Amino acid sequence: MTKIHAIKRETDLQILGDWIEPGSRVLDLGCGRGVLLEKLRQKKDVQAIGVDIDAEKIEACVRRGLSVYQGDAASFLSLFDESHFDWVILSRTVQELEDPAKVIRGALRAGRKLAIGFENHGYWRNRLADLASGRASHSLTGDTPWPESRPQNPVSVPEFEEFCARESIGILRRVWLAGDWKSPVKRLAPLRAAYAMYAVSKAK
Amino acid sequence: MNDASPEEFIAGQTGEVGLVSWQDFVCAEPFHFENGGKIPSFTLRYETYGRLNAAGDNAILICHALSGDHHCAGIHSILDSKSGWWNNIIGPGKPVDTGKWFVVCSNCLGGCVGSTGPSSVNPETGEPYYASFPLLTIRDMVRAQKKLLDHLGVTRLYAVVGGSMGGMQALQWMIDFPDYVEKVVALATTARQSAQAIAFDAVGRSAILQDPGWNGGRYEPGKGPNVGLSVARMMAHITYLSDQSMEEKFGRSKTEEAGAGKTLFGTEFQVESYLRHQGKSFINRFDANTYLYFTKALDLFDLYTPTGKLEDTFAVVKSRVLVVGFTSDWLYPPEQNRDLVHALLRAGKKATYAQLDMKLGHDSFLVHAPELYRLVGGFLES
Repeated sequence: MTKIHAIKRETDLQILGDWIEPGSRVLDLGCGRGVLLEKLRQKKDVQAIGVDIDAEKIEACVRRGLSVYQGDAASFLSLFDESHFDWVILSRTVQELEDPAKVIRGALRAGRKLAIGFENHGYWRNRLADLASGRASHSLTGDTPWPESRPQNPVSVPEFEEFCARESIGILRRVWLAGDWKSPVKRLAPLRAAYAMYAVSKAK
Repeated sequence: MNDASPEEFIAGQTGEVGLVSWQDFVCAEPFHFENGGKIPSFTLRYETYGRLNAAGDNAILICHALSGDHHCAGIHSILDSKSGWWNNIIGPGKPVDTGKWFVVCSNCLGGCVGSTGPSSVNPETGEPYYASFPLLTIRDMVRAQKKLLDHLGVTRLYAVVGGSMGGMQALQWMIDFPDYVEKVVALATTARQSAQAIAFDAVGRSAILQDPGWNGGRYEPGKGPNVGLSVARMMAHITYLSDQSMEEKFGRSKTEEAGAGKTLFGTEFQVESYLRHQGKSFINRFDANTYLYFTKALDLFDLYTPTGKLEDTFAVVKSRVLVVGFTSDWLYPPEQNRDLVHALLRAGKKATYAQLDMKLGHDSFLVHAPELYRLVGGFLES
């Protein structure tokens, strides 16, 4: 479990560390215990703010010396002027949001760019697991049985890209990774990508 | 000053600050109040725990709330049944760790527990100030505390920590002395009181002012507007609790007196008996004039001035800030605590908002609360 988490974190850090300019104002929605933000702060000297609803996670962020806000993401975003943040991050958070479209729109207003990473529900192993067992697939996250799981609203690569097209959201960059969360996927991403990370902004 | 030396405590264990005694700091210079008026000199009564380091930069200032005082930890005598009002958070190995930090708490200017206030004698006239004491603000309290810290050799505050009125002081500190304060912990507080909170203060003051014993503020010690003050305290105390906690603690339980069938308008319910006790014990320890001055200071406190935008006021801030709101606090509700952090973050400052789901209302910050200890301890350590 910890190993999988470590790989995921490392993946996010690699990609975002590459994308995010030093000294940027970064907002991480669903920041958890603040590991990603802490690393980004070390690596890129970003001005980091995290948002989470879980008191225990807030406590962990406080121990890391991060600025963190306990509350709802959409209403938090609405408090800031347009383009206040250079980057808003939604790392493996979007599938747990009650109203993802509202949060994404809010993030693209309060932030110049949004980095959004999610596990692709259309990944072949997920499809296979669905077929074989009829159980909700968890792919790499399969460490929490459903009674203890939070509500999930999984998203797939094509669904996300269709949403972007419909909302006139410009895709600046995309990274698709195979089941090992390391090897890039070039073709057939809807089927072959286990993890997808996009950089998007409002279309000019 | 206290008998708790850091070496006596093993890491990870908590201890008590033990026996402590207060001291008086006398500032012989005139003090000019924010809204005009001055006094020729003043005294602040204070306590300290732990040791100030050679650089003078390991001090934590604790700011007390309306009815608090300088005695926030330890005991004055082995016969004391109660320790200082925040003993659960201050001590060796506790979140405000006296093994690491030099902890200072003073009775506010205008107070009635040893610091100069309306009941103190004006050296220029030889009689108490009474209502001639100048109008007092939170900022005045902070400026007086700064004189004390200078006197103690504190070069920089590692942190200022306070709840309610103490939280207001903590916020004022980081605005008035941005280079002097590294961290701020403000609990159950607000940038300005709501109309409802002002209204409660106004009713409390009204009870005092309309008590014939007030006599324009001139009364002998112990003989003042005791009825008015106890009514003010009883009412205010309700605002410090929550509906749920009162229901759980008292419900509709009746007193023995009621059971004996003796009462007409006596103390029928336990909650009445509790409030009467609160009112009665308050008049023995608190001065009515101080109550008037302090509640006025609360009402006047407004960080939205002068521009109407909180982030403008916070533009000067350099401290790292932790604000904690309590879900059941309806006096300074979570929204008002959140607003502080919103404004700080909009202004590009380092600030954290955490909300604790405790049911005891406004006074939640004073009770035993491991989750609060972890937050405050974690923030001070980080």
